[in-house]
Amino acid sequence: MRIGIVCPYSWDVPGGVQFHVRDLAEVFLAQGHEVSVLAPADDDAELPPYLVSCGRAVPVRYNGSVARLTFGPVTSARVTRWLEQGDFDIVHLHEPVTPSVSLMALWAAEEPVVATFHTSTVRSRAMHAANPLLRPSLEKIRARIAVSEDAARTVRRHLGGDTYIIPNGVHVDRFAAATPRDEWAGRPGAPTLAFLGRVDEPRKGLDVALRALPAVLDAHPGTRLLVAGPGDAADLLREADPRAVAATVVLGAVSDEDKARLLRSVDAYVAPHLGGESFGIVLVEAMAAGAPVVASDLSAFLAVLDDGRTGATFATGSAPALSATLVGLLADAGRRAELREAGTERARTFDWSRVSEQVMAVYETVLEGAHAELAEQAPRGLWSRLVRSVPGSGTP
Amino acid sequence: MSGTDVDVLQVTTFVVIVLIGVAWYLSYAAARLDRLHAKVEGAMSALDAQLVRRAEATLELANSGSLDPATALLLADAATDSIERTTEHPLDEDLLDGQHFGGREQVETTLSEVLAVTLTDEVVGGLRTEDDELVAEALDRISASALRVRMARRFHNDAVREVRRVRDKRVVRWFRLAGRAALPERVEFDDEVPAALTH
Repeated sequence: MRIGIVCPYSWDVPGGVQFHVRDLAEVFLAQGHEVSVLAPADDDAELPPYLVSCGRAVPVRYNGSVARLTFGPVTSARVTRWLEQGDFDIVHLHEPVTPSVSLMALWAAEEPVVATFHTSTVRSRAMHAANPLLRPSLEKIRARIAVSEDAARTVRRHLGGDTYIIPNGVHVDRFAAATPRDEWAGRPGAPTLAFLGRVDEPRKGLDVALRALPAVLDAHPGTRLLVAGPGDAADLLREADPRAVAATVVLGAVSDEDKARLLRSVDAYVAPHLGGESFGIVLVEAMAAGAPVVASDLSAFLAVLDDGRTGATFATGSAPALSATLVGLLADAGRRAELREAGTERARTFDWSRVSEQVMAVYETVLEGAHAELAEQAPRGLWSRLVRSVPGSGTP
Repeated sequence: MSGTDVDVLQVTTFVVIVLIGVAWYLSYAAARLDRLHAKVEGAMSALDAQLVRRAEATLELANSGSLDPATALLLADAATDSIERTTEHPLDEDLLDGQHFGGREQVETTLSEVLAVTLTDEVVGGLRTEDDELVAEALDRISASALRVRMARRFHNDAVREVRRVRDKRVVRWFRLAGRAALPERVEFDDEVPAALTH
């Protein structure tokens, strides 16, 4: 099958949608399909062979935050050329309602279109304002996929109608096979906790973890919190409790390999996010690596954790609740072993082998419908349409 | 005298421009509606094809001889019902037929229920260990088509929603832009995939 995938966000910048598109493309390529990905990227950057750049992304304020997007006539021409040269059986757009290359591809595409909605944080204003403008284009989408119930709810609220939920994928085996690193591994009396994510983005909740740490240290004095992720944590650490700071190890941004090794090593992975999460891919990665998950009780996280059965959850934003949960879990090796086992099993649900199978099933279902349509449609000109639409002449 | 001439010319030009605008808009709206109807039809035919596949695979499993006779009979009965109803309603006959499900909801719900009741973890586990290629293939086909039935039904219902939204518009109703096309309806039936087949 010839598949064209469009990613609206800059390829050079790490992000959930980019990783999802990259993995999906690589899985389908490995299965023998022809795949081309269109995304904004610096033209001189080193790009994988399946990637076509639609130009450099420009930082623009949209939907309450600065997003790196592409637009304008040059991009538009590149989108059209990509569609023409690709001759795709199916075009799969990600985040079609961002004012970027996905929307342009939707505008230009004559191929059957599948769209995946990732976010659950779109402000209603952005989607509502553009509604009459976008509606006819959105009608081209034959299948709408949401990555979670939260994302589906956002789509339902702003655009109406149903979506099919297919979760984000993870290469489970890569995490399960990673080798632990001694300096990150917990020892009796000195357990380790992992935090992953941008440290200077408040909604990732590092602040909650730092506030919870002193109470954890009271019960387990040797505890260390390993913080991995880009951004500058200096401000946060300056204001935090000195004991918490002393127990915190800032690793900075880590490679994919080190991320897996970190999750394999620690006694618990902490996800103290405050909101704005649509899926929670890191939770799946932690479960795949066999790390017991301690997460805030956001609805997206509860869904990933099978309603909280495969991880320990606490009241979102509450440092006392987090420390209580951690103190209990670190004291109970049996419970940790249980969570490890349940998590490993649960992570299988999100393995790319299963996720890609479902995406392929969507493509096939859509193509079946599109072919049936072509077979039935008789050629109709503009004039016949006009005649047909005149009152009286078209009705018996 | 000459003043009124200019006025007539201006008014005529204006009226012609407005008429052209209205005509363009109407033809655009009609084309859009046409496309939406075609989408519903395509989605319905995909749903139909998957339902046929599901019923055929179920029948194959029932006839494989690997199940106890009571289970086999239940499955065969539900599958045959579904296949008979499908062939009674050939969907490619004309344009309008494609937008109706022909009251098959109950039959398909029954097949879903029977599949869920009969294909338990235990039964599927037993069938998988038998190492019979035909049985394994039938099971795979049931689970693949059941998944696609679920998807196709969602996509169909979503397309129906879009058509109905546009057809609700005043312009479309006044100018009868929908022509003779029947108003498509949502298809609702139990399309649960047997849990034993999903893992």
